[in-house]
Amino acid sequence: MIRDAAGRFGHTPALIIVLCAAAAVALLSVASGAYPLAIPDILKVLGGREANDPVASLVLLEVRMPRFLLGFLVGAVLAVSGALLQGLFRNPLADPGLIGVSAGASLAAIMVIVLGSTWLGGWLAFAGEWALPVAAFFGGSATVFLAWRIANRDGQTQVATLLLSGIAINAIAGAATGLLTFYATDDELRSLTFWTMGSLGHAGWDELMIGAPFMILALIVSPFLARPLDAFLLGESVVGHLGYPANTVKKAAILVVGLGVGAAVAVSGLIGFVGLVVPHLVRLVLGASHRVVLPFSALIGGTLLVAADSLARIVVAPAELPIGLMMALIGGPFFLGLLMRRKVV
Amino acid sequence: MRGRMLLIALCWLIPALVQAEPMRVVTADGAITETVYRLGLESMLVAVDTTSGYPEETQALPKVGYLRALPFEGVLAMRPDVLITTEQAAPQENLERLAKAGVQVETLPMAWTPEASLERIVTVGEILHARSEAQDLVAELSSEIRRVQQSAVNRGSRPRVLFILAAGNHSVLLAGQDTAASALLDAVNAENAVTAIQGYKPASREAILASQPDAIVIAESTPGQFDISNWQEVAHLDAWKSGHRMVADSMFLLGFGPRLPEALDALNRVLPSGTAVVSDDS
Repeated sequence: MIRDAAGRFGHTPALIIVLCAAAAVALLSVASGAYPLAIPDILKVLGGREANDPVASLVLLEVRMPRFLLGFLVGAVLAVSGALLQGLFRNPLADPGLIGVSAGASLAAIMVIVLGSTWLGGWLAFAGEWALPVAAFFGGSATVFLAWRIANRDGQTQVATLLLSGIAINAIAGAATGLLTFYATDDELRSLTFWTMGSLGHAGWDELMIGAPFMILALIVSPFLARPLDAFLLGESVVGHLGYPANTVKKAAILVVGLGVGAAVAVSGLIGFVGLVVPHLVRLVLGASHRVVLPFSALIGGTLLVAADSLARIVVAPAELPIGLMMALIGGPFFLGLLMRRKVV
Repeated sequence: MRGRMLLIALCWLIPALVQAEPMRVVTADGAITETVYRLGLESMLVAVDTTSGYPEETQALPKVGYLRALPFEGVLAMRPDVLITTEQAAPQENLERLAKAGVQVETLPMAWTPEASLERIVTVGEILHARSEAQDLVAELSSEIRRVQQSAVNRGSRPRVLFILAAGNHSVLLAGQDTAASALLDAVNAENAVTAIQGYKPASREAILASQPDAIVIAESTPGQFDISNWQEVAHLDAWKSGHRMVADSMFLLGFGPRLPEALDALNRVLPSGTAVVSDDS
């Protein structure tokens, strides 16, 4: 699909650069961390042999590997979701937060944190350690569904109404979150503060098992929406004339974002910036066609998030910075620089 | 020739055998860290968490982050034999992984009474194979605590105390019921003047005036954080004017570690005796 988009192979150099960057970051992420591992040990473990350091295989296979995979998936899904929404709304400021998915997911997560010992005790007893991610996932999907239902008139999805209802839902979820924060105990307050800053610090195969199916599904479906979304750029009325079922496309895009971001937020907390900025980055460099923007957003989003996560656990080692913070710290100045350079040229 | 080889080998071996590997310990809780220092076992410490700021020497140790967000690799990188923390430690996944990696993970209960905090000191001592030192320390601390509590009982009255937590320039919180602050007051035969609040809530200026306390305690997370000129309501309270007030470090007051007797004593001293202040709130 990438080759198809490149047409005259115009994007091949960019693709090679991005793939190299992704590979470099993958190596960085697996080979570096607070716990020092010798290169031979890493190679031995990856080759399936016994390492000299008995802890090496635990660190690599149980912690760094799932963390890398989860980070890449989350970054890819957030960036692709941002690209889809920006295309759908024809609005460069759209991001997964806008239609309420992040707010809904965090409200559900914070409900589990604050009410887990009282009203939601039954849910906690039933779902155990899965209580928070599963609730966050349903919270995110439910808010998207709600926004979509409100925006649905006579079988047509009104994109402007979707945006506005998303803003309203955000406000309501924000207020409910604030209320819960007010009633939270000291302990709950601290855990929810950390949750909202985002982290891959607890990532393991369990989190990957919960989140990955939905995120992979979202990534697989999104390329099919590229051409119709290009048509959206010409105006919503044009989409039908070009032979695409406009309403199905909208539904599919919203569903993909709801499931993908719901799952991403569920396993990693709130990580901003990727969804908004990565698609812009791709558009600035490679053009606005969604056949380019979607796959490149996925690759760059994943790479960027893994890079940020690697740095987050190196810079203040043995402690770790929250990933959301790191993301904004790296990405913000980089994006500003790109914007400024573009103005001069 | 052979004899010389043996001699060299012995010279290598004997020190290694005599100096048994000292235990490597990571503590993730301010009060537990203080306990390790009070037991004189600080040479075992290889890292602490960010809530461990006392004594001063902790500054020189590596910090593994905050106890509610402990990194797996960060802790493991210090190659500890033991991680001693409280049940507040999170995330659970990382504690489980550390245990899997061979670290002895000890999560002690929270201590909000003098008895529980002394018990915790004994537990820390047992974990670090210093049971008798810990028991000596506990005996010393408990006699100091008993002395303070006796004088608190002799006071006769049960003063009402306004407890303020200043955690940042603009974050001034009132301690309500079910808090470590309330528990501390209870330990010196005093009670929380703020009854309508659960936990720590942003200070309402009217609630401060309405509380009409017999004494005021201000716990700062860093020294000088509470600026009385911004809080005229507090300055207007009779208790403030009459000097029944104290400003102290929040870890000192609320840590429930080995400094508890000192904290109780300091607190007890600012409480008015039954005859000095007539507080009859009908």
